[in-house]
Amino acid sequence: MTRLRLVASTATGPNLAELGPVAPERLPPGRHGLPAHLVRTHQRQRLLEAAATALSEQGYGRLTAARVTELAGVSSRTFYQHFEDLWACLLAAYETEAALLCAHLENACGAFPEGDRPARARAGIGAAIDFLANEPAVARLLSAEPPPQVTALAAARRDLAKRLGTRLRAVLEPGGATPLPGLERRLIGAAMALVAARAASGDPQRLRELEPELSELLLASL
Amino acid sequence: MSADAVPAREATASKDSGLSDAEVRQGAMEGTLIAVGEAGYREASVRAILEHSGGHRAQFYKHFESKEDCFAQAYAAWADRLCVDLLEAAASAPGWEAGVRAALIELFRFVAGRPAIARALFVEVQIAGEPALSRHEAAAERAAAALDSARAEIEPEREPPEATGIFVVGGIESCICEALTAGDPARVWDTLPELMHLAAGSYFGKEAAEAAFEEASALLHRDRAELTGAAR
Repeated sequence: MTRLRLVASTATGPNLAELGPVAPERLPPGRHGLPAHLVRTHQRQRLLEAAATALSEQGYGRLTAARVTELAGVSSRTFYQHFEDLWACLLAAYETEAALLCAHLENACGAFPEGDRPARARAGIGAAIDFLANEPAVARLLSAEPPPQVTALAAARRDLAKRLGTRLRAVLEPGGATPLPGLERRLIGAAMALVAARAASGDPQRLRELEPELSELLLASL
Repeated sequence: MSADAVPAREATASKDSGLSDAEVRQGAMEGTLIAVGEAGYREASVRAILEHSGGHRAQFYKHFESKEDCFAQAYAAWADRLCVDLLEAAASAPGWEAGVRAALIELFRFVAGRPAIARALFVEVQIAGEPALSRHEAAAERAAAALDSARAEIEPEREPPEATGIFVVGGIESCICEALTAGDPARVWDTLPELMHLAAGSYFGKEAAEAAFEEASALLHRDRAELTGAAR
């Protein structure tokens, strides 16, 4: 299973960092003295991680809520207290990881001056690949095509592609215009397909090796 | 491409339906792709497949272990045939760029003409996973290798990255998936200039990309009705 991320506090939930160092597995049963809201946050976090891990194990075709609960070490009842169904859990995991990926990329780009666009672009691509290679299950979650019938999840993937495309365009062209409107969508689509194929192999090194090639390919035709 | 374009492995007669084993097998494979393309991989059942193929459950299980098995076999047969059609289209055109354009036109005709099967081959295979996904990867590698013939025209010091072929194939597939999941397969035609830009730019750089874009735009503007009207 992927490591537990202690994500920053959001408007809707407490900060898991309040728990101090925690193991990425279920909390000990019985009295542990932790406030109920923190236990609940910890459970939710484990479910989100388990969703990504279960997806990398089973793929969308065989994915079940039972496997997610098993990996998270929670009961079925607890699962449904947090999420309406399997797809709601996947969607929450997707949105959480997509936000983290974008933040990671933004930070890396921001380390270089505005005028040094190639360096900013390469730093962003490198940071994104590093993020994905550190978490192959997350790489699979973010890059693989979800079932189109699960419209919210498909929309979340489109939204991530759009955000990455907008970022690519902004880095490459200060005015936000590329020589060809929509080209960045094609480039990001190609990059996501490439990442999905490498992530499906389950070998993080193969993902990591993509970095220089992807930088060259994303910048070649612009 | 039609159902009977898929090569048969068996030709003995089935006692149950009067159809040959090869016909039953091919019908079930096409039925599986249509059912999966229409309902989605997770939702498509053997019953739904039989509604398309017209056979009996016993006949289905005589040829296939499961829906997964049938889908993987159908995938291999249809992807192989589609690859052959695309490579033939490319080979019939003069030069790399014209070959890529001809292959894309052939591909778009297939997508617009057989959207349910295209959806199974390009979208639902990602949901199905193994063993069909390995066959998808093999087909993508084959297409990438064909695109890589561009390297013969590039000086060694300007060679593009090793992953270029798969990158371009991924871009083409993402366009097709976008049009199919939007329920508007004919939309793929609009992406012809952009995809030519992506392919030529990835191998030959910006100037070649712009020239390929302009040429494809002009072709689409001039001959769109003829190109799309030929959809099967």
